[in-house]
Amino acid sequence: MKESQDIETATTALSPTNATGPPDNKTRRYDRQLRLWAASGQNALESSRVLVINGTATSTSTLKNLVLPGIGHFTILDPSKVTPADAGNNFFLNGPNSIGKSRAEEEVRLLLELNDGVEGMADTRSLDEVLDTDPEWIAGFTVVIAHNLDSKLLDRLATFLWSDDSHPCLFVIRSSGFLAEFYIQYHEHAIIESHSETAPSLRIDKAFPGLLEYAKSLDFKSMDPTEHSHIPYVVILVKALEDWKAGHGGLPPQTYPEKQEFKKSIVSMKIKPDEENFDEAESQAYKCWTSTTVPSEVAELFQDTRLTEITPKTPHFFVLLAALKEFTQQEPYTLPLSSTLPDMKSNTENYVHLQKLYKTRAEEEKGVIKKLVVEPVDDDLVDSFVKNAHGLKLLKGKPWGTLNGDKEALANSAGALPKQVSAHLALSALATFHSDYPRATPTVDALTTEATKILPERPEGWDDAVGEVVRAPFADLPNTAAFLGGLIAQEVIKMITKQYVPINGYCVADLVDSWTGVI
Amino acid sequence: MSRHRTSHALAILGPELHNKLPETKVLLVGAGGIGCELLKNIVLTGFGHITLLDLDTIDLSNLNRQFLFRKKDVKQSKAMIAAQTAAGFNPNVHIHPIHANIKEPQFDVRWFQGFDIVLNALDNLDARRHVNRMCMAAGVPLVESGTAGYLGQVQPLLKNRTECFDCLPKPTPKTFPVCTIRSTPSQAIHCIVWSKSYLLSQLFGEDEDSSGELDDAEKQGENAQEIATLRKEAQAFKAVRSALRSPQSSTSNGGDAARMAFRKVFNADIRNLLSMSDMWRSRAPPTPLDFDAIMDGTFSHKKTPANGVNGKEHAVNGKGNAHASGSKVAEELLHSSPNGDAPNTKGLKDQQVLSLKDNLELFTSSINRLATRLQAGEDTISFDKDDDDTLDFVTAASNLRSVAYGIEEKTRWEVKEMAGNIIPAIATTNAIVLGLIVLQALHFLRKSYKRLKNVHIQLKPSVPLSSISLSPPNSLCGICRDTYTILACDPERTTLGEVVSGILGGVERDVSIYEDKRVLSDPDWDDNNERTLASLNVTKGKFLTIVDEDGELGTIAVALCELPPNHPIDSLPCILPSPLPSPPRIVKPPPPAPPTPPRQTLKRRVPHDDDDEITEIEPNAKRVKISNGNTKIRPAETPLSSPSKRRKLEEDGLVLMESATDKPDDGVIEID
Repeated sequence: MKESQDIETATTALSPTNATGPPDNKTRRYDRQLRLWAASGQNALESSRVLVINGTATSTSTLKNLVLPGIGHFTILDPSKVTPADAGNNFFLNGPNSIGKSRAEEEVRLLLELNDGVEGMADTRSLDEVLDTDPEWIAGFTVVIAHNLDSKLLDRLATFLWSDDSHPCLFVIRSSGFLAEFYIQYHEHAIIESHSETAPSLRIDKAFPGLLEYAKSLDFKSMDPTEHSHIPYVVILVKALEDWKAGHGGLPPQTYPEKQEFKKSIVSMKIKPDEENFDEAESQAYKCWTSTTVPSEVAELFQDTRLTEITPKTPHFFVLLAALKEFTQQEPYTLPLSSTLPDMKSNTENYVHLQKLYKTRAEEEKGVIKKLVVEPVDDDLVDSFVKNAHGLKLLKGKPWGTLNGDKEALANSAGALPKQVSAHLALSALATFHSDYPRATPTVDALTTEATKILPERPEGWDDAVGEVVRAPFADLPNTAAFLGGLIAQEVIKMITKQYVPINGYCVADLVDSWTGVI
Repeated sequence: MSRHRTSHALAILGPELHNKLPETKVLLVGAGGIGCELLKNIVLTGFGHITLLDLDTIDLSNLNRQFLFRKKDVKQSKAMIAAQTAAGFNPNVHIHPIHANIKEPQFDVRWFQGFDIVLNALDNLDARRHVNRMCMAAGVPLVESGTAGYLGQVQPLLKNRTECFDCLPKPTPKTFPVCTIRSTPSQAIHCIVWSKSYLLSQLFGEDEDSSGELDDAEKQGENAQEIATLRKEAQAFKAVRSALRSPQSSTSNGGDAARMAFRKVFNADIRNLLSMSDMWRSRAPPTPLDFDAIMDGTFSHKKTPANGVNGKEHAVNGKGNAHASGSKVAEELLHSSPNGDAPNTKGLKDQQVLSLKDNLELFTSSINRLATRLQAGEDTISFDKDDDDTLDFVTAASNLRSVAYGIEEKTRWEVKEMAGNIIPAIATTNAIVLGLIVLQALHFLRKSYKRLKNVHIQLKPSVPLSSISLSPPNSLCGICRDTYTILACDPERTTLGEVVSGILGGVERDVSIYEDKRVLSDPDWDDNNERTLASLNVTKGKFLTIVDEDGELGTIAVALCELPPNHPIDSLPCILPSPLPSPPRIVKPPPPAPPTPPRQTLKRRVPHDDDDEITEIEPNAKRVKISNGNTKIRPAETPLSSPSKRRKLEEDGLVLMESATDKPDDGVIEID
C-alpha cells in the first residue's frame, strides 16, 4: 500500500482492473474501524507490540479487543497453570479441558483464532525472573499491560519502565468484583490527530486576499433572487465587515450597540424574509469581531525549551512545532488556514468556488511552513500536522504511585471526589495488604488500617468501597472483565495510534452504580 | 480461593441471584457486534436459557469485532454460528438460535411473555421500536443499547416504571423531496440515493408500478409538468428491464442492455428534462452523456458557470491526462472531505477517484454482473452495501449522474458509507456497552430498580461514562401509555365488531379502531364491523388499537395471538382476556388553567444526590429538540406516533418531505 502518492498518480496511474476491482480483504475486514482512525492509525496498530502480564479474564478481554482490530504482536507473560476458577470466568480458555495446562499458552492459542494477521507468544517465565535477568526484553514492547499484579512487583516494573523515557508506557489495572481502576504511566504523549471537536477558524476577521477580492467582486444588489439566497454566509460576512470597516476607521464592531447595528445591517441585506444564508451570517456575525489568534493551548506548547535548538535528534513533533511557532510570529499571527469548510447554505457552484479559495490559500500557507521546517520530515506528517494544528496536544505523565505518595493532593481529591478516592484507596489497600500477607484473608479492619497509612482520613463512601473489595478480593467477574477490557483496549489504541486524547489520571469504575470517574 | 468454576460469580452475585440465573430465560435480539459480546457474557455469567435471534449472515467486515465468527464462517447464519461457538463454553447452557426477523408474526406478545428479560443488540430504529412495543405489551423488562464509533448508550426499559424507547421521539433520517432526487440533484448524496433507491430497483427490483410515489408527490404540490415527464420516464424502463432479463442481449456482445440503460437514463431522460426550459431558468442545466464519446475519449462537456466564477471548458477522457489541468479543482475537492476530521483517505484501493471512462466501464460491468445473476435465477436484487455488484453499480451510476449535473464525484469508499448508512464500529465500545447491559439486566432480575441507570459512553477523557437516573414514562407516549391486552383468536372466523364489543365488555362508548396507521372504523363509519379480521389483514402479531373518541379513557391496544392448539373447533373462535382491560381515566386539565400534572417527563430529572460529582446531565441533540416542547408525541386524532408509510419509505432511504417547499439541509443522510 503506497502511502505517499499524489493525487494525480492516484487518479491517473491506475490500471482499470486495479481501479474498479473490489477492495482487498484486509480493507474489507477493517472497514468499520478505518473510518475512525484511517490508514495511519491502522499502520501504527499493525506495527505495535503489546506485553500483557498475568493472563486473567480482564487481560484476555483486553487482548481480544486488540487482536480483533489487528495489533502486530502480543505476548502473555504468565507462569501459572489454569485453575477451575479460571476456566469458569475466562472465555479464552477451553473450559475444563484447559485446567492444569499453562494459562498463557492456552490463552494465546485461542486468542490467535480471532485474527490470523496477528502474532502471539506465550512466555511462562515469572515477571520477577525477567526483571532479574532480562529487563531490557520488556523495553522491546510498545505497551505493557499489568492486571492485579503484586504491589511490590508492580512498583519494581513501574520503576524500571519509568527509568528511560524511550521505554514503553505501562497500563496498571486493579479490579475486585464490581470495583476497578486503571492508570497509564508515560512520560510524555504528543498527539497530532486529536480529532478535536472545535473547528479551526475560518479567519473571517482576517480575510486572506483571495477571499477578500472575491467578496468585494460580488454585487449582491444586482443578483437575481435565487443567486442572492445562495451566497455563502462566509462571503456575506467578509463583505459586510469590509463595508463596516470602511466607515469605522478600519475597525470591526467593538461595543455592544455597534455589534447589534452590524447584525441589523446583515438582516437588512435580505431581499426576501426567508433567506437562510443571511440568517446564518447573522448568527455567525461574532466571527467578525472575535480576533483569530493562536489558541492558548497551542501557544503554551511554544514555550517548550526543546524548540530553542532543533537538532537532527529532535523528535519530529517538536521540529514541526518550531516551524509552526515561527509561522505564527508573522502576519497574520494565526495558525495556518484550514482547507476544510463547514457545511453552509449555498449552491454547489458557490460552495465549490469558496472551497477552492480556501484550499489554494491553505496550500500556500502550508508551503510557507514547509520552508520553515529545518530538519527532514515526511511530507505526509507535515500535511497532517498543519491540518490538525488547532488541536495539537502534548500530555505530560507522572510515574506510578505519585498520587499515593502525595498526601496533600490525595486529600484534596478526596474532598472533591470522595467516592472515587474511596474506591481507589480500597483497591490500593487490598493490593498492599495482599502483598504483605499473601495468605491472609483481608478484613474491613485490616484494609482500613492499610488505607490509613496512605491517607489518615477516610473519605465518604469508604464503607461501601471496602465492603465491595472484602466481599470477594480480586474476584475477576466476566462482566467487569468485559467492561474493563473494552475501556482499557480503547485507551491502548489511543496511545498506540497517537489519535484521540487518552484518559489522564486514575480512572475508577464502580459497576454496581454504573459510574466512572477520573482522579 | 474456591476451586469451583463459578466461584467468582457466586461470591459477587450472592447465592440468591446466582441460583436464579440457570432458570432465567433471556431473549437476545441480534448477534452482531454487541450481540456476540453479550452472548459470551451471559453464558459466562450463568444465564441458563438463551434464545438468540438474528436474520443476518456473516460478512468479512464483521470480523473486526464480532469475535464469535471466523473467516470460514462468512455467509453463514450469525445466530447459528454464534450459538455454536458460545455453547461449547458452558455445558449447562441451553442456547436456542433462530435465523429470522424479529418482526415476523410468530414472535407475538405471548412469545415475548415467555422470557424473563429481553436484551436488544440491534442496528436499526425500526426493529428497536418493534421490540420496545412488544416488551411494553408483554410487560417484560428490556435493556436497549447501541454504539457508533467511540460512543455508546445503554437504557433499561420497563412498562410503567421507566420511560419506554418511544417516550422521546427519535430523530428521523434526513429526507429529500422526490423531485430533487429524480430531476434536480445538487449534491452527491442526491445522486447516490437516486442510484440506490430508484435506478437499481427500476432495473433489478420488483416490477411494480412506481406511480404511487408520483401521485403523492403531485398531491403535495410538486411541479405537475415535471411529474408527467417522470411518469413517461418510468414507462420506458420496461424495455430495459426485459433486455436485462433476456440472455442474448446483455452479456454477450459488450453489454447491449447496459448500453440501453445508459442511453435511457443518462441521455434520453436528461434530454427530456432539458426540454422543460422553465426548470433551468434559475439552476444550471444538466449535460446529457454520450456513451461512445466517453469510451473513445472525445466526450467533452461544459462545466456550468458558477456565480462570479468563469466557466471552464474541459475535456474529460478515459486516459485521465486531461484531469491534470481542466478538472484539477474538482479532483482536489474530491480529496478534501467536507468533514475536517474525516479519515485520511490516501492509499486505500477503493478510496481513489475513478475517471469518467472508469465509471462507465464499471457501470457496464456491474450491470452485466447483475444481469447474469437475474438470468441465473435471482428474482430481484436490492442494494446491500456488502454486495460488491450492487455497490459498484451505485458507485458508477451515481458518479455518472454527478458528472451530468456538474456535481463532485465520490469514491467507492465514500459511496459505501453514504449509501450504506455505515456507522464506524469497533470491538472496544461494544465490550464496554455489553458490560453495562448485563449489569442493568442483573439489577432487573434482582428487582433493584433504583440502581438502574441510563448510561452514555462519551469521548470526554475526564468523564468516560455519564449515568443518568431513569425518568418515569412520558404521560403522552403513544406506545407505553396504552393499556395492553391479549386476544387469542382465529382471524378467519372472528369479526372486527365481535372483538370490539367483546373487549369493551358491552359498554357503549364512541371509539375508533386502528391497525397501525389504518382506520378500520369510527363512530360514523362501521362498514367493517361485520368483516373478519383476516379479510381486513389483521392477523397474528398485529395490534388493534381502540381509541376513545371523547378522549376520556386511555387507549386499549389488543395484541392478537393464536388460539391454543387444544381449542375446540366448535367453540367460539376467540378467547377474550380476563379480566377485560380497564384503561385509566384521562385527567384533562382545563385549557386556560395552569397545567396540573408537572410535565417532568419532558425534562431530565436532577441526578441522584450521591452521583453529583460524576453525573453529567448533558442532553444530546435529540433531547434538546424535545425539551422545546413543540414535538407532539401523540396527536389526539392519530393512534400511533409514527405513520407507517413514512417508516416504509425511510427504509428505502427516500422519503417525501411533509411539504414540497421544505428544503433539505446540506450534508448526508442522518443515521439512527
